[in-house]
Amino acid sequence: MEDVNKVLEETKKINDEYNYLNTIIEKPIQRKKEGKLSNYYITFKDAICVKGVHSRAGSSILEGYYPLFNATVVEKCLDEGAILLGKTTQDTFGFGSFNINTNLNIPKHPLDKSRVTGGSSGGSCGFTKKVKFKHISLGESTGGSMANPSSLCGVFSLTPTYGLVSRYGLMDYANSMDKIGPIANSMKEIAIMLEVISGNDEKDSTSLNSNKNNICRDYSKQIGVSLKGMRVGILKESFNDSIDEGIKNSMKKCIDILKSVDVECEEISLPFSLKYGIPTYYIIATSEASTNLARYCGIRYGAYLPLEGNFNEYFSKVRSTNFHPEAKRRIILGTFVRMATQRDAYYLKAAKIRTKIIEEYKEIFKKYDVILSPAMPIVAPKFDEVDKLTPLQSYMMDIFTVSPNLAGVPHLTVPFWESNNLPVGLMFIADHLKENNLIRIGSYLEGMDKN
Amino acid sequence: MKFDSDIVIGLEIHISLDTKTKLFCSCPNPKGEEEPNSVTCEVCLGHPGSKPIANKKAIEYITKLASSLKCEIADEVIFSRKTYFYPDLSKNYQITQYETPVGSRGKLILNSGKPIFITRVHLEEDPAALVHPKSISDSPFVLIDYNRSGVPLIEIVTEPVITSPDEARTFMKQLITLLGYLDIFDINTGVIKADANISIRKSGYVRSEIKNINGFKEIERALTYEIERQKNEIKEGRELTCDTRGWDANKGRTFLLRTKETEEDYGYIIDPDLVPISLSEFKKNIDTPELPYEKALRFIKEYSIKEEDAHILCAEKSLGEMYDKVAKKIHPLLAAKWMRRELVRVMNLSDKTFDDLKINENHIIELLKLVYERKITDATAQELLEKLMENPFSPKDYVSKYGLEAVSDLSELNVLCRESIDENPKAVEDYRFGEEKSFNYIVGQVMKKTNGKADPSVVTQILKEMLD
Amino acid sequence: MEVNEDFVKHIAKVARLELSEEEVKSFVPQLKEILEMFSVIDECDVENVQPSFQPISGEGKLREDIVGECLLQEDVLSLTPHKKDSYFKGPRII
Repeated sequence: MEDVNKVLEETKKINDEYNYLNTIIEKPIQRKKEGKLSNYYITFKDAICVKGVHSRAGSSILEGYYPLFNATVVEKCLDEGAILLGKTTQDTFGFGSFNINTNLNIPKHPLDKSRVTGGSSGGSCGFTKKVKFKHISLGESTGGSMANPSSLCGVFSLTPTYGLVSRYGLMDYANSMDKIGPIANSMKEIAIMLEVISGNDEKDSTSLNSNKNNICRDYSKQIGVSLKGMRVGILKESFNDSIDEGIKNSMKKCIDILKSVDVECEEISLPFSLKYGIPTYYIIATSEASTNLARYCGIRYGAYLPLEGNFNEYFSKVRSTNFHPEAKRRIILGTFVRMATQRDAYYLKAAKIRTKIIEEYKEIFKKYDVILSPAMPIVAPKFDEVDKLTPLQSYMMDIFTVSPNLAGVPHLTVPFWESNNLPVGLMFIADHLKENNLIRIGSYLEGMDKN
Repeated sequence: MKFDSDIVIGLEIHISLDTKTKLFCSCPNPKGEEEPNSVTCEVCLGHPGSKPIANKKAIEYITKLASSLKCEIADEVIFSRKTYFYPDLSKNYQITQYETPVGSRGKLILNSGKPIFITRVHLEEDPAALVHPKSISDSPFVLIDYNRSGVPLIEIVTEPVITSPDEARTFMKQLITLLGYLDIFDINTGVIKADANISIRKSGYVRSEIKNINGFKEIERALTYEIERQKNEIKEGRELTCDTRGWDANKGRTFLLRTKETEEDYGYIIDPDLVPISLSEFKKNIDTPELPYEKALRFIKEYSIKEEDAHILCAEKSLGEMYDKVAKKIHPLLAAKWMRRELVRVMNLSDKTFDDLKINENHIIELLKLVYERKITDATAQELLEKLMENPFSPKDYVSKYGLEAVSDLSELNVLCRESIDENPKAVEDYRFGEEKSFNYIVGQVMKKTNGKADPSVVTQILKEMLD
Repeated sequence: MEVNEDFVKHIAKVARLELSEEEVKSFVPQLKEILEMFSVIDECDVENVQPSFQPISGEGKLREDIVGECLLQEDVLSLTPHKKDSYFKGPRII
């Protein structure tokens, strides 16, 4: 068991250099010593509520918010012997692909400080990569916020089926797409954490009832299970011109390895999802987010100002002072697409397209167990490159991740090889509640890129 | 929409449900006496990360009501978010139902027989309570109590088919009766508020809305005032605008809140935190009692009582139920007369509700049997009824014990009447000259002789026979 | 509907955001670009398709009407200085 003072020392040293944490729990919290997470240090994305611990979802509008309750995933970790260490930095409320959209700490890439970690769970991924003590992080994904930074930083992340893990206590970005999942350096840790946090929660209406859905959650048992007979659909758009060369090479190497163990690999296509995924995602996500963020207005909790003016003036002042520009943009977009005159053309239409995207995935999964594609079209860019991007250009980076997130299907990022000495992450997608396939394939490929 | 009446009124009514807990969290449904902000949790306070879970009882209640209002009932309960900014909204959106109300296309039939069509019946959560330290316009800040935040409300919207303030009042009263029958609303601690839309023919039906009117008496007052105001505006040559107005009950007038141009766009979305709930089990298990209008019709048919009496007896569930039992043992017309008038009067006098009463139908049956058999006078019966408000006792035994039997022996009464006539020759003569008052005097004398225990109508009859 | 400064200001107002002149100016081209990207969905035919508001059908949950625990009044009020006599203080409504 590690000495807590040494852990804190290492944590602070890393944090001073890389800015991975918004809050360090000076007296790490442990409820009991035994359990699946016995003596593991856990960090949580800032949007996950930890009772009595400064939780701000990467935004200064929640300055001074110390939740009065634990998120369900936090309770589950505590019940399994975990030690709560801190809150990791993120894009404000999850709004971003590079973790630069925040007025709190902006994290730096674990291997090159001039580069971004990716986002929005950038702090979780960077910290996981850097620390030497026993540690797992819980991140969150709405449109790819775990797949993205874990591929840029070179760690494993598993975005579970929507509803498999309770969202109770997660500050909402888009309620119909948010998922909490594990970020770690090994598949074993991914599997254990998934066992701990998954399962029905009576406090979350969208949480899936294990009994009714026959969900078997013995994920650790899938480690090392043979891949024989597995069928993998290789997304043909993975090899488009715009995709980084190193990433394409990584894909090819992976496919070769899989074929060598009798895994069938065939090219597939998801034309509908790739064409309509991004606008559909952003319409739905911003419409939900703009309602979720309405509550932040300077009364009851969080940032505040002296009570002057009428409520419209006061609310506007507090919100405008504290919201990051990206939050403002998304609120404006989201408010627009659900306005009475626009809602049929945008909000309702996007919901219908979402049905067709889900259908497209379901069709593929009739024939294939998993889909393989890159998580990101690029490896970790530099800060000054990212600063030059327009918001739309940033949004387009989510090309591979938005559709599985819209469909609520689980996906795993496996660090596989490098490109120009920067990590590459490959993404495997499985059908609803088929995390077992992901664990098998991820555990097989773990370390294979080093051979 | 085409209108053809002078006055067109539509109502939007909010009723707080008598569940034990709030609509989306398990905080208790407050009664109103609690310390501010002591009946709250992260859900009803709108703390980030909290999530709503719907109250099963509230869904049972609305299904019951929608069914009683003869609505078409939806297949699922689907909630929407209505987003707007106000200090009493803990999330700056209200969870309500927009495209998908639980009930639609129903009706409530007034006692007059006219159906008031119901457009929709849906569930929503109550905002918090605002307290203004001074008056609304003077305070630099408001005080907010979130105890009420999240209380379950049902909203009922009528078609604009009500044609007078009196009819609006009647509708509200009958609605409240129905709620009592269904046992989903606590008349003591529950809140019932209405928004009213009203327009008149004279203006070409330009509609104004009056918000937040409390109770059926105020509805009539507010609408009456507003009709006059609108007529006045037209008379003075001004054009009406589509206003949103408030009702000041103290001053007895409506006042402008805002014009329709500044209406909010609520940007409705389906609430993604709340998975739709199937209503099929709820629809199968609807347990509605006999409804007020149905009960009244049955009373008229079964007991041959007057329509007006039937409606009064059915205006409160417990009264109707008691009458139903009493009328099976006592002549229904007598029972109706006594229960619709005397019983109600005596209960009001002693400030009692049916819940407070310690007596049951057997006490009433016993009492009315004595009346029917002329064993006691009406006056005695009234006294006994008043006493029964405080404590249960056997009227029969009481009458025996205290010798309250009416003097009904005709021969005895004849003697006493003859005596009174003989003792009061002047009064007799005055009566023969047309003084009715003198007759009453003689009746009074007979009553005195019997210590009030004679039946005055019998005495009158005997005296008339003797004197005419 | 044109994406210009008035458009941005109007929607910002609905959402209770007070944007500076620079913000408005910088948002116009950014939002214009994004909304043009959104309009790709105009090409999509979804005539008889049911909308999905959830990606996977759960059954939803109901709560029995049984009283649970409330938060303590002092904890609830501890999260802000804007309070008076156990009430929260908020901005005036007029």
